[in-house]
Amino acid sequence: MAQGRKGKLNYRCPRCLMREIDMDMLYDRDNDEYYCLRCSFTGHEQEVLRLNAQFREKYLDRTRRITDF
Amino acid sequence: MSEFYVTIIHRPEMVPEYIQKEAEQGKKEDLARSTVLKESLDIFRTQQQVAHENGLRTTIQMTYASLFNAQAVAIAKEHHERYGDEIGSTFLGIQCKEFREKFKSKELAIWLFSMEDKKKIVDEVLGKFYVAFGFYPAATGSYYMDAELVNYIKEKYPMIKVAVATCWEEGPKAYWNANNSWYTLLDGGPWNPWIPSKRNIHCPASDESDDIGIVAIPHISRDLMAVFDGPGSYYGTHPQNILRGMVYEDHEIPYFKNLVDQYRSMVKYNRGYAYNMMYVGPGWMSNNGRWEADYDTLLKSYKDGMAYYGQLKKEGKAKDVTMSEFADIFRKDRPYTRPECTLWKDILYGSKRQQFWYADPWMRFCLDMNQGGAMIDLRPYAAKLERPCGVGTKAMQDASYPFLVQSLYRAGYFTHYAGEGAVKSCKVSHAGEEVDLCTCRTLASFSEQDDTRIVTLEPITIEFAESTIRVQSIFRITEGTGEIEIIRKIIAATDPDADITIDEYITACHGTTEYPEDLTGVRLTLAGPATAESIDYAYSCREAQMDNIQLVEACVPQVDTRLTMRADTNGAVGYFREGFAFSPMYTIGIKKVVREKGELRTWLKVEKAN
Repeated sequence: MAQGRKGKLNYRCPRCLMREIDMDMLYDRDNDEYYCLRCSFTGHEQEVLRLNAQFREKYLDRTRRITDF
Repeated sequence: MSEFYVTIIHRPEMVPEYIQKEAEQGKKEDLARSTVLKESLDIFRTQQQVAHENGLRTTIQMTYASLFNAQAVAIAKEHHERYGDEIGSTFLGIQCKEFREKFKSKELAIWLFSMEDKKKIVDEVLGKFYVAFGFYPAATGSYYMDAELVNYIKEKYPMIKVAVATCWEEGPKAYWNANNSWYTLLDGGPWNPWIPSKRNIHCPASDESDDIGIVAIPHISRDLMAVFDGPGSYYGTHPQNILRGMVYEDHEIPYFKNLVDQYRSMVKYNRGYAYNMMYVGPGWMSNNGRWEADYDTLLKSYKDGMAYYGQLKKEGKAKDVTMSEFADIFRKDRPYTRPECTLWKDILYGSKRQQFWYADPWMRFCLDMNQGGAMIDLRPYAAKLERPCGVGTKAMQDASYPFLVQSLYRAGYFTHYAGEGAVKSCKVSHAGEEVDLCTCRTLASFSEQDDTRIVTLEPITIEFAESTIRVQSIFRITEGTGEIEIIRKIIAATDPDADITIDEYITACHGTTEYPEDLTGVRLTLAGPATAESIDYAYSCREAQMDNIQLVEACVPQVDTRLTMRADTNGAVGYFREGFAFSPMYTIGIKKVVREKGELRTWLKVEKAN
């Protein structure tokens, strides 16, 4: 198998991110996928982006401008 | 008249860790790699430009590495002349070729060197600064500046009057967040500027004799709710933090403005004063992007943040000050005993949750309105624990200030079906039923009466099988007393003759991490008018109670703290409860039977034991 490298952006493992661990992933060029050294996550960029969007969902107010303090 | 002060701090870090790591991919370490030095300097220039374009002055904190770079020094001088920026120094960014050759160390954290090395590095860094600029700086900082380090700096360089001195609630959570590799174990300090004690940087000074001689500023203004239960590096007034926490959508970050505005609102709790700071290096803004964000997004986030501060300034709603200007302003109107207060509200998760944060020279605590006003954090500042850190010390990397209560590290109300967790709350019982106020969600308001700060909770309803009651909690803290007065009042009951027991308690321990510490030697005491009863903690599940209690006490020699409770009535019963090894806690409490309109008034005090 090919040597793991840094991807085009430093994608963190989305599964580790769910438990608030910032774990940079390595990129496997041959298989065009990212993988995590810690939790065994493997996935293509689209899967990473899908899970990142899911991570954001906990912030219900992420798009809301709050001015009442 | 209220004022919101903003401090913008840039540091020209020549070998920032993120860019250096990227440059090293597949290559050997080279601290003098020209591409890294050039990119770092370009980013610093960009950050300065963005601030100036928005009419904001900055404090340039020169790193040791940047003092060897003629361009960085020249930019600092030019911007000082042209824009009125302050030129300060920082102990971040010490690593460079010259440092490596001189000190033969890869250590990057000033607070983790031995005291002997700290002194040598201070002299070297400030000496080099003097050579570059012809004067010593008034502002310095790092992620953490221990009291021993600052005491030395003040002794040798008395002109230094302000420092970035800690990262708020960067402790085990930050360590865990960084895959257990980021040693900023710094929990337990104030979230807004303070005058530190000579004995421990986390503690506000009690008086002039305890004053360390600087004004301390926390690194980044952080979300007081999200950071208490999450990584400090996700939720603060540093755009990178917010990108790292992914609190954005379609490249827009309203959360940044919400955070700034909540800090602005602190004028309501702090006699018309509020503060905000942004402190950035170049590492996060590299051309390769950072935290899933490309360079354009990084730049936009910074420009948007600065634009908001600039807009506030133009509208007369913010005043940009350099670090040392801020220190002068802060000292002018800051009696040592004045507390810092904030009734923080959730701006992230869509709840209405509120937490009340309080810090003064005696204690720091947090009340959680989601848990009926339960105290979920308590730090005994009165103990002013001398706790040196770094190589050669007992604490080593653990620079946190110990807690007596930290409900997230030590369970709080909810435990896994055994034992007790650390929390201060109240139980209300009637006819064999008992309800802990931790289960009664409510909201609070803040008010002041002379020198007393008052947190008044909206009444909650408790439905017993035979009677329904309404209970109100009020917390009163009178400046300079080191005591919290807690009032629990039965304001209504469907059965006016029902006997209701109010049980005010604190379940506590001590430590700086999630893991238990040995409680052996903690002494629990009940004191009545004629007798007293004590036990020394031995994990033996012992309990005792006393009528007509005058004082219940936990003396915790491990953190040199005496924690006491007293009541306003002779008719109250005091008690203590020892824990066991699977429940390493102690509880002290006071209870009383009342009827409708009755109340229990107690005082919780934190003192230095010796």
